[in-house]
Amino acid sequence: MSDGGTIDARAEMLSGATSLASAAPPSSTRGVTSDLSIDEALLLHGAGWEPVDLVCGVAVVSVPMGVWNWGQGEIGVASEAHNAAVKGASEQLQNECIKAHGHGVVGVRVNVEVHTHHIDVELIGTAIRPLEGGAHPSAPFVSDLSARDFTLLQGAGWLPVGLAFGASFAYAPRRSASDAMKQKTQNVELTNFTEAMYSARESAMERMQRSALDVGGQGVVQVKVTEGPMHFARHAVGFTAWGTAVRLVAESHQFVRPDVILPLDDAVVTFAAQSLRGG
Amino acid sequence: MGAPADLPEAAIRRLDSSAFSSGLSVPDFAACLDLGLQPVGLVQGFCVMRWGWYGAGSGYMRGLNPYSGGGQSEGAYVETYRCPHGFVSTEHRMWGQNLEQTWVEEAWSQGYGSAYSRMLEEATSLGAHGVIGVVDRVTHLVDAGTTEFHFLGTAITVENGPPPAGGVPWTTYLAGQRLTKSIEAGFMPVSVAASMASVRVWAYCMTEYLMEGSRGWGGPTSPYAVDQVSKAHMASIQLARKHVRQQLSGDMLHGAKIEVVKRELAQGDEVVDCTLRGNRMRRFKDFDVIPPARPTVRLT
Repeated sequence: MSDGGTIDARAEMLSGATSLASAAPPSSTRGVTSDLSIDEALLLHGAGWEPVDLVCGVAVVSVPMGVWNWGQGEIGVASEAHNAAVKGASEQLQNECIKAHGHGVVGVRVNVEVHTHHIDVELIGTAIRPLEGGAHPSAPFVSDLSARDFTLLQGAGWLPVGLAFGASFAYAPRRSASDAMKQKTQNVELTNFTEAMYSARESAMERMQRSALDVGGQGVVQVKVTEGPMHFARHAVGFTAWGTAVRLVAESHQFVRPDVILPLDDAVVTFAAQSLRGG
Repeated sequence: MGAPADLPEAAIRRLDSSAFSSGLSVPDFAACLDLGLQPVGLVQGFCVMRWGWYGAGSGYMRGLNPYSGGGQSEGAYVETYRCPHGFVSTEHRMWGQNLEQTWVEEAWSQGYGSAYSRMLEEATSLGAHGVIGVVDRVTHLVDAGTTEFHFLGTAITVENGPPPAGGVPWTTYLAGQRLTKSIEAGFMPVSVAASMASVRVWAYCMTEYLMEGSRGWGGPTSPYAVDQVSKAHMASIQLARKHVRQQLSGDMLHGAKIEVVKRELAQGDEVVDCTLRGNRMRRFKDFDVIPPARPTVRLT
């Protein structure tokens, strides 16, 4: 109920309540499920997309015994298991999206658990499709961008193409007994540590970038990096890097031209009335 | 209409009082009045359930060969795995099964549904048209195996509005600006919708080996997908989605929250529980497409 562009919320509420005053006729339509907030749904709708279904992908990949024992360099088998689990979950998510007739998945919640003998990956998001329909893509995009970020990205002429993931697990290097003794009273860089960690981080990021290229991306946005020792093997350190691979779909990047706003409310309260009482 | 007679005396006095109480924040309260909603009272519903699903007598115990009939209900998810080795020993897991624990789901639905209907009873006794800002909580009480379901919300009436069909108030987790936006967008809340799915994994030999990292009998030495567990996990999410969709009757589920809890029991055996809840919404007018959002940069 618009009047001069404004909405009469009371009238809308009344009309909504009236619609529930009589029982709805039985429907065989498949109900849409979505984990988007109302703001996100409105934003997506404004950008020409609508939610279709809540979709998920899960993969559990085993890590053979002995992998975490002491060693040197990268723990290749663990890195391989991690990347296989992410790939498997991502493929399942895409399959669910295709079944729901979606064109892509946004707001994917990524949950990775590394256990001693298995790596579990769970991806959950909302499949979306364009309002005007169109041919279904053979490989829907998967993105952990929120609906807000997705809308902004689309406005700039880019689209997500898939999740880019990379992981690397490495053994914390050991020093010789003589080095350890020598360095006990020194403040020095542990170069073998620096090099090993540097190399493992770079490997994770390099794999992420390679996986972006594999899904046809030109770059990766919103990269997250996690790192830390494994809780079950403190001598092993895991690095993961992931983000959304994006591709330019417009002829060139579109500048979003944001309006500059100057809020009048104070970000910091510089005066407190209590101070007048000497408190 | 008076308060239900089986309520605690204090609740009857509170609901009969001329003052109202509300769980809404001040901004939500203001937005609620702006929408023409009048708070009539804080309503709640409880149900404490004995939660002894997984112990002895859970309806399906290992050792009962699934090929000679099992404890599964008709139409429930079940997937059986056969050992590829043949007879090895009596301890060797010759078979495995992913089984939907329908009795667990029923117990959860009973607890959740009873608490919800008790909240609705209170709201109905106040002559409410709807309940907004619903908060539900499932907590485990001190006594092991005891779970409490609790619903709390603010009962409201719609100014000059008709009573809902069948006199049953509509409900929503939303309140304040989020509710206003949803109404303006043409979505009317119908009810909160929730479901729970539980899948039990009885590992067969290969799953057992893979989950404990051993090669076992001809097991792989490189990373290998543990299909049985992946499928159980997927199934629990898909079942929760299926159960909640059955409550929708063509309506939409907005703002869904999904929670997956895994409990590893032993050597690949585990239980995967998935809870899904959200707002069941019905479109009551054509969607007005909002103009594309205007990006802004804030100067501070």
